[in-house]
Amino acid sequence: MDKQKWESRLIDYIDGKAGEAERVAIEQELLHNESVRNLYNQLAEIMGAMNHAHVLEPSGKLKVNFEQALQQEIAAQQKTKTVFFSPVVYRVAAGFILLMAGLAIGYKINQNQIKTQELEALRQQVEENRQMMLAMMDNPLSASQRITGVSVAYTFDKPDDEIVNALVKAMNEDANTNVRLAALDALGRFSSEANVRSELIGSLAVQKDAVVQIALIQLLVKMKEKSVLNQLEQLTRDAGTLKAVKDEAHAGILKLS
Amino acid sequence: MPKPDKSIDLMSDEQIMEAVKNGNLQQASVLFDRFHKRIFNFLARMTGEREAAEDLTQNVFLRMLKYRHSYNPEMKFQSWIYQMARNAFADHYQKQKQLKPANMEVEKLHESLPDLSEALEQEETEKRLIRALARLPDDYRELLVLTRFQHLKYEEVAGFLNMTVANVKVKVHRAIGQLRENYFELENV
Repeated sequence: MDKQKWESRLIDYIDGKAGEAERVAIEQELLHNESVRNLYNQLAEIMGAMNHAHVLEPSGKLKVNFEQALQQEIAAQQKTKTVFFSPVVYRVAAGFILLMAGLAIGYKINQNQIKTQELEALRQQVEENRQMMLAMMDNPLSASQRITGVSVAYTFDKPDDEIVNALVKAMNEDANTNVRLAALDALGRFSSEANVRSELIGSLAVQKDAVVQIALIQLLVKMKEKSVLNQLEQLTRDAGTLKAVKDEAHAGILKLS
Repeated sequence: MPKPDKSIDLMSDEQIMEAVKNGNLQQASVLFDRFHKRIFNFLARMTGEREAAEDLTQNVFLRMLKYRHSYNPEMKFQSWIYQMARNAFADHYQKQKQLKPANMEVEKLHESLPDLSEALEQEETEKRLIRALARLPDDYRELLVLTRFQHLKYEEVAGFLNMTVANVKVKVHRAIGQLRENYFELENV
């Protein structure tokens, strides 16, 4: 017996929706087929139970609460009806003013939305550049990739701490002179930032690469950073300092003092 | 409190709702009287909790007032109010996910049934029916509450459930089949 099919036929039969031929066929089956008869009895019981289930009565407070809410709504509606313009010309004028105000507000909102969208696109672009720069600078296998990464710093107006730290690290520690020079050049663009300035001054004491030392001295002189005078003098006296660096240090002392 | 006009009894639900929409708020009272018991019963059967059903019923009729301007007079009011009841139940269900239908407070609901002093056996039958109903998936329970407890026609239900009449019928038959199994399993518990 296909139980689901029989269930459906019997439900229609109990609901009185079976056609005449179907009704006769089902009644014949009920007479001779015990499993169909059992199914019918169970369905008739459950459907009867649903049909005669009691209607639940809500408490009286439901009506009271609704009426209170309704009266509040009516009172609120009456308050909003107090604005009235007469004669007609005032109404038309008021309508025109409202229309113009609506257009102006709509225009303003639209402009603001465009600005917000543009700002968001810009912010996303900056973030993408930032992530790209940090990823490229972190590539130990390719100096050219690291230089390209450093060059992305030129797209920022004001670098955050993470970018400054990455550039300082490259300037002081990178194995490749060209990367160190590129990082120094990038930091030079942000030398007006106090933290960048302080990192550049600190770097003079740790740099051992003559090419970078010379470029750094030139930058610090350009920045008119007089606080490095003692360090420059130290370089001129240091026996380990290359002659070209000593010459640049001397020139720097002359310009700053 | 002003009494609604007697002639309002002759107006259809849709006509009254349109009047409410157009500012005659007092007539909302008539719609409340016509529908609140049905909506309460629907929500009581769906939630299995009398208190929750009362709160949700209140919520449904407040929504009716709040969203009166969005009522489309071409839509049957009954469909509209049931749709709001379904939404109210869905919101409630989301908030009370831990109270799955399987945990329905059957006894609490049972306490609210009318006094069946004449038929204790029938009372037991109804308790078992509620428990069997609670074990059904939400969509099956909803279809049975609407078509078998509330006696709505398949065509009416299909209208606000956005289903075809044939589909409603198939699902109702399946729901009855599953309810039958649940019901007679409980007989042996």
